[in-house]
Amino acid sequence: MTALHVLTLSLVVIGAALAVWFRDLLASVIALAGASLLLSLEFYLLQAPDVAIAEAGIGAALTAAIYILAIRKTRPKEEE
Amino acid sequence: MKRWLFLAALLVVAGYLISGGVWLHPFGEPARSEMDRFFIENAQKEVAANNVVTSIVFDYRGYDTLGEATVLFAAVVGVALLLRKVKG
Amino acid sequence: MSVIVRTISRVVAPVALAFGAYVIMHGHLTPGGGFQGGAVVASVVALLVVAFGAERWKKWIKVLLPLEDTAALAFVILAFLGVGATFFRNVLAGSGGLFGAPVPQPGPNPGALNTAGTLPLMNWAVGFKVLAGLGAVVLLLALFGREDG
Repeated sequence: MTALHVLTLSLVVIGAALAVWFRDLLASVIALAGASLLLSLEFYLLQAPDVAIAEAGIGAALTAAIYILAIRKTRPKEEE
Repeated sequence: MKRWLFLAALLVVAGYLISGGVWLHPFGEPARSEMDRFFIENAQKEVAANNVVTSIVFDYRGYDTLGEATVLFAAVVGVALLLRKVKG
Repeated sequence: MSVIVRTISRVVAPVALAFGAYVIMHGHLTPGGGFQGGAVVASVVALLVVAFGAERWKKWIKVLLPLEDTAALAFVILAFLGVGATFFRNVLAGSGGLFGAPVPQPGPNPGALNTAGTLPLMNWAVGFKVLAGLGAVVLLLALFGREDG
């Protein structure tokens, strides 16, 4: 059980580091959504399913959608 | 000078984080659990709900939910005011 | 978006919508509740907006914003129902009427849908509030700015 916690939290940290490291903004948002999804898995392992559902809905889906919409609106200005 | 300041701040923050991880309270053993036991024993009888978390959120601590609803309402009203289509 | 995204969205959206409705409806029995279920349904709205474009859902703004206000008002009215004793008093619990049945037995039990007093009604109110509010925010953000973007 402890190994599973360590693995999940390490993957969360790796996902967050990738979100900072990627130059492409779209790939960065996908990495952030993956880290958020793994964080919701960690909440589920800690027996907090309420928080897990909220984290998966808000953190993984809605935040990624809002970021993708913002990137789509501003992309041409950043490439110049 | 700036580099040494940065290094000192890094050491202090890292020390706090590592000591927090080392001296973490054991999981599932709260220091004071009178309130927890009251909710677990009485929530099913008083509120008649199986989900004790929902009975706390909407009944015992209803004001918190009212505040959350107010925050969300203010946020939606702000977005709707900012991003509305101006005619002409 | 591409054909692949649209096809996958057509498959995923009804399932996620049904799951969100389940989470709201069984908020007093299983993990979850109004906020979580509303967030799931709002993520379906975000998926449809990203996949099919915002222009197609433009007229839903006129539905979502009043729905959010109505649900907020319903939540406050439900809280005022118990003002004879205290604010947020659960007057319907155990009264035998709507949602007024007691739990089948204390401790672990399969659960009955017709329990918990005002809690299911508040779950519906907060669920509609969250899904309409977050869905309207996503839709407004998608409609903002250049038309070709």
